[in-house]
Amino acid sequence: MSKTTVEGQSDGPNVANSSRASDSNDRTIRISADNVRQMGDADLWLGLKRHNLWWSSAVHETKQRFRRSMIGPFWLTLSMGIFIGALGFVMTRLFGQDPAWFVPYLATGIIFWTLLTSIINEAGTAFVSAEGYIRNVPMPISVHYYRMIARNLIIWLHNMVIYVLVYLIFSHDVNWAYLAFIPGFILFLAIAVVGGLCVAVLSTRYRDIPQVIASVLQVIFFITPIFWSVQTFPDRPAFIFWNPVYHLLEIVRAPLLGAWPEPLSWLVSLGLLAVSIPLALYLYRRAYPRIPYWA
Amino acid sequence: MAHLSLQNLTVDFPIYGANSRSLKRRLVSHATGGRIAEGTDDAVVVRALDDVSIEIKDGDRIGLVGHNGAGKSTFLRTVAGIYKPTAGSITITGEVGTLIDPAAGMDPEATGIENIYLRGYVLGMDKGQIADLIDEIADFTELGDFLDLPVKTYSAGMFSRLGFAVSTAIKPDILLIDEGIGAGDAAFQERAAERIEELKRNVRILVVASHDNSLLESLGCRPILFSAGKIVDDGRGGVG
Repeated sequence: MSKTTVEGQSDGPNVANSSRASDSNDRTIRISADNVRQMGDADLWLGLKRHNLWWSSAVHETKQRFRRSMIGPFWLTLSMGIFIGALGFVMTRLFGQDPAWFVPYLATGIIFWTLLTSIINEAGTAFVSAEGYIRNVPMPISVHYYRMIARNLIIWLHNMVIYVLVYLIFSHDVNWAYLAFIPGFILFLAIAVVGGLCVAVLSTRYRDIPQVIASVLQVIFFITPIFWSVQTFPDRPAFIFWNPVYHLLEIVRAPLLGAWPEPLSWLVSLGLLAVSIPLALYLYRRAYPRIPYWA
Repeated sequence: MAHLSLQNLTVDFPIYGANSRSLKRRLVSHATGGRIAEGTDDAVVVRALDDVSIEIKDGDRIGLVGHNGAGKSTFLRTVAGIYKPTAGSITITGEVGTLIDPAAGMDPEATGIENIYLRGYVLGMDKGQIADLIDEIADFTELGDFLDLPVKTYSAGMFSRLGFAVSTAIKPDILLIDEGIGAGDAAFQERAAERIEELKRNVRILVVASHDNSLLESLGCRPILFSAGKIVDDGRGGVG
């Protein structure tokens, strides 16, 4: 019982294909009390490889939610558009912001804030809501997490329609800084996925965490420059300077507004990723054998 | 060669009360030095499988029998890799397929065809493999044009026929079946039995958990008796 190797890795353990396995590819796996934690790492990877499964069920869930409605998932676009339009109107009229600058700023901020917070919030229920699957169907547990990520990416793509419209109406300039969006978005998404995984594991074990996080996120919304701008404050208060969410938003928002993000924003974001990856792996490894009981 | 080897396998379930799972308990127990809260944070542990050792070889047909809560379903779920051992180990050679919950992954709002895809992906098939199955499933379930309607419009029998048909389309080396499979009217029961028979012929190891002795007998299963998480009779006169 002291061997700690996972001999041959497979979908937790082997998922039967519709084609019969021949003797040549018979795989042996050994699951013991000693190696279950290492299997957590493999589960994250094997789950990612089942993209057929998590992508198609995410698409299905999104379609299902808007089945028989006239404009389908574009209701998401519309309701966010109305929110941005209303807030943009109030802020430009009441506080005399210039709409050509303020509306794209607000739209971009809200779109990415929504992506980030819905991933973090829904991470809290990613495993708990999949309890029926987890206990009855052998498949990598992380599939349920990736499905939630995919669902939020689909919603984000619908929301990006608003950005495109706003860009066409207000900005329509072109420069190299827009390209910085691509690495920025990859980093932004990586942090959201890895941070969300920490939340997902902790929330499955401690059921208060999702509530705590929902309240904290509300506060962060107000202290982060999303519907107001740092330019309003010539000397930045510490809570902006040290707010990692501000820097995280900046690496995607600044390029989409045609500006280069500050190097500090990239540094803070890379630092966040560097801290959250080992934390997420540690938590997932510890929790992996227990998630079926916790969920 | 398919093979299953369980060595001193123990599976413990932590059972959390509504209280013990909250973070407050955890914090409070730290604040009080863990003395007052002692024993309240520690979850009750149920030992579902207790030091089980068994070798199941290629060609074996095993029936798991025993009272409710004796460990039959936990045994199946552990072999399927769902529950992880707390002590001991399990070594699995061959692909494992399960018929534990034939309806898992199905959505009542979606059409029959959509559900075949959803369920197919859950079983690990790809799009092409599922597409190839649709005609056969339509034929087997005799659902015909109903496959284009939402599953919620189906009768209970039609629903379980569909779940059964997709779930049994797999061809694993090791098949694990939990009781309560197959449903529908008498005519369908017969065809379901044929399908199970065919599966039985094709798989190398069959493990069925059931209270129905006649089912186990008809499948030619050697009964293994579980009691309180232990094997008390391995069907060969020996005690595991």
